[in-house]
Amino acid sequence: MPRIELKNITGKVLNDVSLTVEDNEVLALVGPNGAGKTTLLNVIAGLTDYRGEVLFDGKSMDRVPPHKRGVGYLFQDLALFPHKSVAGNIAYGLKVRGYSRETIDARVSELTEALHIGKLKDRLPYNLSGGEKQRVAIARAIAPFQKILLLDEPTANLDTQTAKYFRSELSVLLRRLEITTVFVIHDLLGAEEMADRIAIIHRGSIEQVATPKDVFFHPETHVVSEFIGMPNILDCDECTVLSTGLVEVLSGNMRVVLPYEGNTIRKLAISPHDIYISDTKPPGPALNRYTGTITEIIPLRAVVRVKVTVDGTGLLAELSRETFDEMKLAVGSAVHIIVKLRRLRYFEV
Amino acid sequence: MTFKRLSISVSFAVFVLYGGLILSLFYFYDGALFFETLRSARTLFSIRLSLFTATVSTVIAVVVAIPSAYALSRFRFFGRQLIDTILELPMIVSPVALGAVVLVFFNTPAGALLQDHGVRFVFTIYGIFLAQFITTLGIAIRLIKAAMDEIPVRYEEVAKTLGASPARAFLTVTLPLCKRGIIASSILTWAKALGEFGATITIAGSMAMKTETIPVAIFMRLASADIEGTVVLVLILIGIGLGILYGVRLLTGKALPV
Repeated sequence: MPRIELKNITGKVLNDVSLTVEDNEVLALVGPNGAGKTTLLNVIAGLTDYRGEVLFDGKSMDRVPPHKRGVGYLFQDLALFPHKSVAGNIAYGLKVRGYSRETIDARVSELTEALHIGKLKDRLPYNLSGGEKQRVAIARAIAPFQKILLLDEPTANLDTQTAKYFRSELSVLLRRLEITTVFVIHDLLGAEEMADRIAIIHRGSIEQVATPKDVFFHPETHVVSEFIGMPNILDCDECTVLSTGLVEVLSGNMRVVLPYEGNTIRKLAISPHDIYISDTKPPGPALNRYTGTITEIIPLRAVVRVKVTVDGTGLLAELSRETFDEMKLAVGSAVHIIVKLRRLRYFEV
Repeated sequence: MTFKRLSISVSFAVFVLYGGLILSLFYFYDGALFFETLRSARTLFSIRLSLFTATVSTVIAVVVAIPSAYALSRFRFFGRQLIDTILELPMIVSPVALGAVVLVFFNTPAGALLQDHGVRFVFTIYGIFLAQFITTLGIAIRLIKAAMDEIPVRYEEVAKTLGASPARAFLTVTLPLCKRGIIASSILTWAKALGEFGATITIAGSMAMKTETIPVAIFMRLASADIEGTVVLVLILIGIGLGILYGVRLLTGKALPV
């Protein structure tokens, strides 16, 4: 539905933010706490004061009050109306907009079915689990045929497993509804799963807006690079298929094996905390295990980054301070490193 | 003595103080006189007048208090502190003084004009309404504001994003959510209006069968050294008051399931 344009938005923590969200796009706002993610959602919804311009499909929204903007908003605390049943919560927006009884009933049924909460219609919110509340709140935000949807940490109240499942489900639903969506999330993995593009926001300014892959492989600023965890980017010189679903990538003199269909990998990204360091030779097959020499030690607050050179390729590994102290590592020490197979990211042609 | 025991003892001492005072009334209690006084036209009139005026002035006070309390609870505006401070006026200034202020006002040209061409307050039932209204309004606003402060603004924000105008959001979300609080505040306001004496006697006087509410009647009986009559009226007032407060306890005791 509409294209959202934010022009030079300043206020509260925001500092001259300009951002465009395309028609039907799902954009993730990612950044550390206090970066201004929620404030930016409030600006789009019209719930906070700001300087600058907000346009929906080229139409200025600056003087349009929240109830006339047509923006659905899932607040982080959900805030289900405690005095209304599940159906009452979902129907609220339709009622205040004057839809007929039949339309309201049909829409409530449609959404409760789509979000698997059909059996909960008559329950009061205090009687629901965290996941159920989340579903009801999303149904309520979408119900009055909103053109734009804002989600503030849509999976924050869920356990890791449920969150993952819910994200993929939500992803499908948003695409089916063709609704322009901006969602706030603090972890990059979650953003990657749902978003077309990711906007990284830091101290009230947008650092980079790009597809998840681009953010990973081409971080534009040091802040983005830091935020995504300073990944090791390896150029792929050769990509050989070992068997169905398994390839070997050659980068310099380093060979990395990973699950992948085809042979079109051009770059690999390995997060520093996915590289394990050991001072003794680890048992098991030699798959994605190397020996190297420490060339640099970068102590940070809670962690220590260690640069290891493996066959001429520099790899950055991240250890907790305790582990680092225990292992008594120093520049020049020879170490064994293990690259976690599961979390490798790749960039294709 | 542990701190726990000490605090419990003090609370019991408070109970003994009030309970003892109420019990002492029964020293002068005369069963036959009680029913005779209760059935007398003058007492029945006082009871009816008190119940009626307290109810009317509570309704007016609450109707005025709800929007004022909402403004004070939700918005930061110029003069907010001033209004908040002036609400304490009825609590810190004696009701007689407030009544006197009203009387003085009715002696100014503006007040005289209102009395001559509008409603005559002095020495009429309208004077009772006014006396109870001005002495209870501040407390009604305070209590309702406290009830509204308990309801997160977030619910209204949600309602607005769903298409509800600010007024609609207030009427369909905030008001139903603080319903219990408003009812409890209304009952306390009503109890305060029922017991109002100082401003009532100053503005409306103490004419039997005309402006004599129960508290005024108690004062009049006492002034004429009619101890037994006083005891009867006090017991009636205590009975109504405690009954109402117990009702409030029942209402607010059950928390809203959130």
